[in-house]
Amino acid sequence: MDLTLITESVPKILSGIGITFQLMLLSAILGLILAVILLLMRLSGKWYLSWPAQIHIYIFRGTPILVQIFIIYYGLPQFEFVRDSIFWPILREPFGCAVVALTLNTGAYVCEILRGGVLGVDHGILEAGSALGLSAQQKFIYLTTPIAARIALPAYSNDFISLMKATSLASTITLMDMTGIARTIVAQTFAPYEIFISLAIIYMILTWVIQKTFGRIEKYLSHYVNP
Amino acid sequence: MKLLSFKSLTIGVVALFATSSASIASQDGMTETLRVGMECTYAPFNYRTAEGELAGYDVDVANGVAQILGADLEYVCQQWDGMIPALLANKFDLIVASMSITDSRLEKIDFSGPYRDSIGRLIGRADVDLNLFDDAGDPIAANFDGLRVGLERASTYANWFEAKLPGAEVVLYDASEPLYLDLQNGRVDMIMTNPMKAQLRFLSQEEGNEFAFVSPAISEVEFFGIGVGIGLRKGQDELRERLSAAIRELINNGSLEEYALKIFPFPIHNPEWGQE
Repeated sequence: MDLTLITESVPKILSGIGITFQLMLLSAILGLILAVILLLMRLSGKWYLSWPAQIHIYIFRGTPILVQIFIIYYGLPQFEFVRDSIFWPILREPFGCAVVALTLNTGAYVCEILRGGVLGVDHGILEAGSALGLSAQQKFIYLTTPIAARIALPAYSNDFISLMKATSLASTITLMDMTGIARTIVAQTFAPYEIFISLAIIYMILTWVIQKTFGRIEKYLSHYVNP
Repeated sequence: MKLLSFKSLTIGVVALFATSSASIASQDGMTETLRVGMECTYAPFNYRTAEGELAGYDVDVANGVAQILGADLEYVCQQWDGMIPALLANKFDLIVASMSITDSRLEKIDFSGPYRDSIGRLIGRADVDLNLFDDAGDPIAANFDGLRVGLERASTYANWFEAKLPGAEVVLYDASEPLYLDLQNGRVDMIMTNPMKAQLRFLSQEEGNEFAFVSPAISEVEFFGIGVGIGLRKGQDELRERLSAAIRELINNGSLEEYALKIFPFPIHNPEWGQE
């Protein structure tokens, strides 16, 4: 174990943390929006909305994220019309491809997490809402949404951590995130143990921070449940 | 408590390392079977045929050397950027994977004498003249500024670009096949790779129609090494000598030329390497 190598390479690896964060936050936000849209489509009760959502979820939960990244990065540009389309400026860049892949993937998972939250809302509360004369829309916004969000949060924090770690796969399509930089250092120093163990520790610290943050949010959202 | 469990984890990892180095020692005693690491996807040097057989120049050299040494070979397919770490971790005994002998690699492993030329050449669009090289064949650094160049991670080409043309934006790939894909897709302006391979695999094919070499062959020994050799772990001087002698024999009895002519219309080694 070469300690000077570790102290030299950790700052270099950390210079990629910006890309890791950008990938994570952008995909998380876009993925959450996508998940809500998919959720509303699934709950709409109309087959022509529900089916496309279910197909999307089935495809993106049923295939490995690495394969999805490769198909989007290497597969799509094979088609002339993709390269001529308005999406090409995004799909031309490895960063754009990585965000698209991570968003589509996390959107599918988070939709199912949110659906679990919605299904977990106690019927009695909704009946009480009906008794008060709330419309279906009002019940969804004022009763279902806050309770479902609280129920879904622990599972969502899990998915968020998975997403953070999945950003490392972007290194396979030439992005210089922390993993990409680490792999390049290994290629120059031929010392995989020192570099990859340092990298793993950085990811573990990030996971710890995310976990603590979600723990705070969870506590805040349920402060009136467990005062 | 948390600290304690982390400590025991560390001990576990250390124990793991200890056992792996112990197996290195026990393996060294028997040289009947040599395990050879290569990419298996680097046509025409090492690749699988449609029948699934390994073939190519590297494979021919490995087999020729094994015959002279009287050893059996066992092939291990390994991604390029993990090649040296895998050798050091005793996943195999030799690297016969078109690996150039360079100073930075010699710090970690040993090489036999060279068995193939080591050169690089840039490929870009045929219809664009970027005026990248002067008449003497030296790169004009300013004209590279902002150009995207695709390279294989851990290749000798990356070091050359870093030192000579820092203005170019280097994009690193895990293998050589995606280089051609992204060149065609327009994600990179040019790629640098082995010209023999590129001619055969890409430029002579229909998909390579719009592309051409945009540089002379570049072979600066400082970056590209004296040639391609067989890699092995340090501390095996006797094996290294036997490998070098076997390669010299292959050069002198014409086998190397024969291997090359199977693929290319010209030999790809220096006949002087046959001298002791």
